[in-house]
Amino acid sequence: MTARHLPLVDEGALPYEHPLYETLLSIPGLSVVTAPLDALLTWGTKNALWVFPMATSCCGIELMAAAASRVDLDRMGTIIRATPRQGDVMVVAGTITVKMAPRVKLLWDQMPEPKWCIAMGSCAISGDFYRDLYPVVPGVDTFMPVDVYIPGCPPNPEALMHGLLRLQEKIGLRREGKLTQAEYRPGLLDLTKPRVGRLGDVTRDAGLSDAQLEDVSDMTRRDLAEESSEIVPRAEPVREAIASSSQEIEALLRDDFGVTEFPKDAAPLVSRGDHRRLAHRLRALGYAQLIYVVATHFPAKKTDPERFEVAYALRSIGRKSTVVAWRVALAADETIASIVGVFAGADWQEREQFDLVGVRFEGHPDLRRILLPADWSGHPLRKDYAADTAHPPWR
Amino acid sequence: MNELVHGALYGTLIATAILSTIAMGIWFERKFAGRMQQRLGPTIVGPAGLLQPFADIIKLLQKEDIVPRDADRGLFDLAPILAVVCSLGVAAVIPFSPSIIASDLDVGVLWVLGIGGLMVIPTFAAGWGSNNKFALLGAMRAIAQSVSYGVPLVLAVLVPVVLSGSLSISGIVAWQAQHHWFAVWPIVPGLPAFVIFFLAMLAESNRIPFDIPEAESELVAGITTEYTGAKFTLFYMAEYVHTLVGSALGAALFFGGWDGPFAPGLHWMVLKTLTLFVLIYWVRWSLLRFRADQLMRLCWTWLTPIGVALLLVSAAWVTFGGTN
Amino acid sequence: MEITVEVQSATRGSVDPHLSIHAYEAEGDLMLLHFGPQHPSTHGVFRMDLHLDGETIVKATPYIGYLHRGVEKLCEKLTYVQQTPIVDKNDYVAPMTNEQALNMAFEKLLNIEVPRRARYLRTIFAELQRVASHLVWLAAQSIDLGGALGGGSTLFLHCLRERELIMDLFEEVSGARFHYNTHTIGGNRHDLPDGWSKRAQAAISQIESRLSEYEDLSLGNQIFVDRMKGVGVLSAALALELGISGPVLRGSGVDHDLRRDAPYHAYDELEVQVAVEQGGDCLARAKVRFREIRESLRLARVAIDGIPEGPICSFKPTRQPTQVKLTGGQAYAALESPRGELGTFVIAGGDTPTSPYRLKIRAPSLHALAAIPYIVPGANVSDAVAILGSLDPIMGEVDR
Repeated sequence: MTARHLPLVDEGALPYEHPLYETLLSIPGLSVVTAPLDALLTWGTKNALWVFPMATSCCGIELMAAAASRVDLDRMGTIIRATPRQGDVMVVAGTITVKMAPRVKLLWDQMPEPKWCIAMGSCAISGDFYRDLYPVVPGVDTFMPVDVYIPGCPPNPEALMHGLLRLQEKIGLRREGKLTQAEYRPGLLDLTKPRVGRLGDVTRDAGLSDAQLEDVSDMTRRDLAEESSEIVPRAEPVREAIASSSQEIEALLRDDFGVTEFPKDAAPLVSRGDHRRLAHRLRALGYAQLIYVVATHFPAKKTDPERFEVAYALRSIGRKSTVVAWRVALAADETIASIVGVFAGADWQEREQFDLVGVRFEGHPDLRRILLPADWSGHPLRKDYAADTAHPPWR
Repeated sequence: MNELVHGALYGTLIATAILSTIAMGIWFERKFAGRMQQRLGPTIVGPAGLLQPFADIIKLLQKEDIVPRDADRGLFDLAPILAVVCSLGVAAVIPFSPSIIASDLDVGVLWVLGIGGLMVIPTFAAGWGSNNKFALLGAMRAIAQSVSYGVPLVLAVLVPVVLSGSLSISGIVAWQAQHHWFAVWPIVPGLPAFVIFFLAMLAESNRIPFDIPEAESELVAGITTEYTGAKFTLFYMAEYVHTLVGSALGAALFFGGWDGPFAPGLHWMVLKTLTLFVLIYWVRWSLLRFRADQLMRLCWTWLTPIGVALLLVSAAWVTFGGTN
Repeated sequence: MEITVEVQSATRGSVDPHLSIHAYEAEGDLMLLHFGPQHPSTHGVFRMDLHLDGETIVKATPYIGYLHRGVEKLCEKLTYVQQTPIVDKNDYVAPMTNEQALNMAFEKLLNIEVPRRARYLRTIFAELQRVASHLVWLAAQSIDLGGALGGGSTLFLHCLRERELIMDLFEEVSGARFHYNTHTIGGNRHDLPDGWSKRAQAAISQIESRLSEYEDLSLGNQIFVDRMKGVGVLSAALALELGISGPVLRGSGVDHDLRRDAPYHAYDELEVQVAVEQGGDCLARAKVRFREIRESLRLARVAIDGIPEGPICSFKPTRQPTQVKLTGGQAYAALESPRGELGTFVIAGGDTPTSPYRLKIRAPSLHALAAIPYIVPGANVSDAVAILGSLDPIMGEVDR
C-alpha cells in the first residue's frame, strides 16, 4: 500500500496510556492475558479513528467530500467530531497562517492521547506556493508532529482515505513495537526547507518549541486586546438620484473638482482635499456601491520621492450598471480623508489598505489591522517589504 | 422470593440486555443513517460493520482522561455516572413481560417521572462543571427545555393513568391487555397523548428536532464539549439508553406493552420498543433543529394546553361512560 | 443602571454595529463567547466575538485574517500567465469564476478579444460552477440548521452527491477535480472532450429533477422556514452601503446582477432572468439561491446547445511564463460570481513588464461579512449560525 522504496524507521513503540492497563502490564506472568488484550485494544484503536477537522481552506471541502456518499469515511468507522476532546486524528486540511498557527497548536494540545496528525494537502505539508510568503507557516510539522502526509492540491477524497488506511497500518506496527515505513517528508527536499526548521530536524533551534508554546499561552490576552470599543458613525443620509452617463461624470469632474487630465489607461486623479466631497456627490448621483479601495506604494526612485496612490471605484445599481473610478495621489507622509461616513462598506476596505499598505485614513473611526495579527510590524504590500519576511516563532 | 434479591437479579439482567441492545442500536443507527444518506455506513469492521460500536468503545476507553484545569472536578466526574444511572433507573419499573420486571412499584409512573426528571441534574452538572462556555450554554438550554417539556410529558403520561386507574406501569399494561391499547381506543385522548408523549420524550432525551443542548453546529458538542474517553462514552451510552428506555415506556403506556397474540409477551414488548426506537432515529435523520424560543413556543402554546385538554377528556371518558 | 442597548428582537432589524456595551458591567452581565476561528459552523476560519445577554447577542464583532495567505503579494511576484492557478484557491468553492475574473482583467489590460467559443465555454463553466457553489451553500446551511448528526447532514450529503456530477464534468475538461487552471489570457486552455455536451445535459437533467426534492426538504420544511424567516434582516439601503452584491443583495430586494447589467462572456446573447426576493432575511436569500440554481441550469443548457465552432483561445497558450508583457495601464474587470461581484483591479508596469505592479481582488464575501455587526445583534446564538450560513462567505477570498 505504501511506497516501498522508503526506508523503515523506528518511531518508538506506541504506549498504552491508561493507568489501569499500565498496572496490569507491570504484573509479571500476565502476558498470557495481556497478549490477546493487546490485540483487542490495538484493533479498537485502529478501527475507530475519529477525525477532528482542522479545515481551513480548499482541502476542507475535499474532507467534506470524503465524508459524503461517494467515498464515505464512515465505512471504516471514521466520523467527524467538532470538539478536539473527542478526536483521534487531527486532519490539517488547508493553509495554516501565522495568525492561525497558535490556535492549531492549542487545539492539538487539547486533544487526548493517543492522537495522530495527518497533514492533508501541500499547504499543510510545506506551505505549497505560499511557503515563501510572509503570513504562511511553511508546513505544520514546524510546530507539531505529523504522522502521515497526503500530497495533493487538494488530495482527492480517495487519497484521504488512503492516508487513514496508512495511519491504521502504522498504528498497528507501532503498537507491536515494529519498524514503520518512513514518511516522504517535505523536509527531505531543500526546496521546502523552512527558516524555523521542522520537528526532528537537527538544525532546529532548541528553544523554538518553548517560544511557540509561550506564544500560544499569550494568545487569549492578545485576542482580548484586539477588541475595539470605538463608535463608528453611520453613513450620512444622501439624496437619492438616478445614475448618469460617463460624459456627465467627466463634466462634473472638470467643472466642480478641477480635474483637467483624463488618461486613457487609468482613472482621473482627484486632489486630496476634494476626494471625500466627490464620493458624496457621486453617491447622490446614484453610484450606490463602493467597489474597491486600493492603495499602491511607489518607493522612492532617483528623482521621484516615495509616494502612494489610492484608487476608488463606485458602481451604479441596476440595468446598464456603470463603474466610476478615481485616484488620489499622496506623498509619503500624507493622510487621506476616510469615506466611511459616506459608504459604511469603506470601513473594512480602508482597514485592509491600512493593514497591507500602511496608508492612514484620516477620520476612520477604528483604524486597526484587519488581516494580519495586531502585533505585526510593517506593511507587507509595500514594495520595500520582503515577501518572505520572518515572523518568529512561527515562520 | 425476597424483593431485594429479585430486584437485583432482574435489574442486572435488564440493564445488561439494554446495554447490549444499545451497542447494536449504535450500529443500526449508523447503517440506517447511511442508507438515508445514499451511503453505506460501517462495512469494514466486522461483518457488515457489526463490530463498529465495540471498536468505538474500546478506543474511547483507552483515551487519555482530561479534566480541564478550572473545571469543578467533583461535578465533572459525577455527571456522566449520574447520567447513566438516571437513564437506566427508569427501566426498573418497566414490565418487559408479565414476569420480567425489576421492581413492580405501585407508584411506578411517579418513579419514572421523578427519575426521568433527575436527568437534568447530570446535564447541568456537566455543563457547569466543564467550565466551558459552550457547555454552559448547552446546560442552560437543557434546563429550560427539560423543565418546560416535563409538563406536557406528565400530562401525557397521566392520560393512561386516569384511563386505567393505576399508577403502576404493569397495572396499566395489564389493564390494556384486558381491554384495548390506549393508542387504539379510546382514540381521542389515547393517540394524541401518545404524540405529545413522543415529542416530549424526544425533548427530554435531547433528540432532533429538540437537541438544542448539544447542537453540534452551534455549541460544538454542547455539554459534552470537554469530555474525553471513558466519561464521554458514558454520556454517549446514556443518550442511547435514555432513548431506548423512553421507547419502552411509550410501548408500555400506550401500546399495551407485552400484550399481543401468538408470541410470548417479551417478544411483543421488544418489537414495540424497537419500532419506537427506529421511529426516533427516522425523525432524527430527517428533520432540522428548532431554535430555543420556537421550542418553548411549541411546548407552552400547543403541547401543554392540548395535554390539559386530553387529561380532561380522559377524566370525562372515565366518569361518563367509556369502558371503565 | 441604564441600559442603552436597543435590541430589536421582534423585527431583528439592523442595529448599530458599534453599540456601546459599557452600560453592562463588563464582567457581570455579559458573557463573551469566542465563536471561532475553529468552529464547525464558521465556514472556515472566521471568528466572531459575541457578547451575550443570556443567549441574546448584544454585540457581534467579526475578526478575519486567519487565512490571509498574501495572495496579492504573490501575484506581484509571479508573471501574468502564472497567476491563474494561484487565484483558484481564493474562492475555493467556485474556482472557475476566480480564474475568469482574473483573466478578464488581463484581457482588458491587453485589449484582446476572446473568441466566441471560449466565451461560451466560460459561460457554461461559470453557470455550472454557480450551481455547484449554491449546492455547497445549501449543504452548509442545512448542517448549520440541523447539525452534523441529524437531518442536516442528510440534506448535506445529498447536495454533495449532485455537486460531484458537476465536478466530474469539470474534471473531464481540465483534468483536475478542484483547481482547474483551465482559463488563460485570451481564452481557454482545454476544449471540450467528445460527447461532453451530451453528458453535461444528462447531468443537468439529473440535478434539475432532484432539485425539487431539495426544495421540499428545505423550503418545504416548516422547521427550515421557521428558522430562516425574519432572521438576519438586511435592508436594501444597508446592503448597498456596505457594498454587498450577489444573492445577499438580491435577497434584500435590489434588482442587480452583473450578468444582465454589465454583460460579459456570452451573457449578452443569453437572456438572464434575475432572481430577486423581498424581505432581506435568511429565507429570502435562500429563495434567491434556489431560483438561481434553476436559472443557471437553464442558462447552461441553452449555452451548451448554442456553442459555436471556432478557436478557444485568441493566441496559442504556451508554457512560457513570460508570454505576456505590459508596460503600463490599469484595469478593473468584474463578473457575477456565485457570491456577488468578484473583480480584479490590476496596475501594470513597474520594473518587471511580465508581472503586475499591484493586483487587488475584490471579494464579495468580504463585503457580505461586513454586515455581521449590523444584522447579528438581537438574534440568538442559533440565529447567528443561520445568518452566517446565509451570507455564504468563503474565507479564502475574504482573507486572500
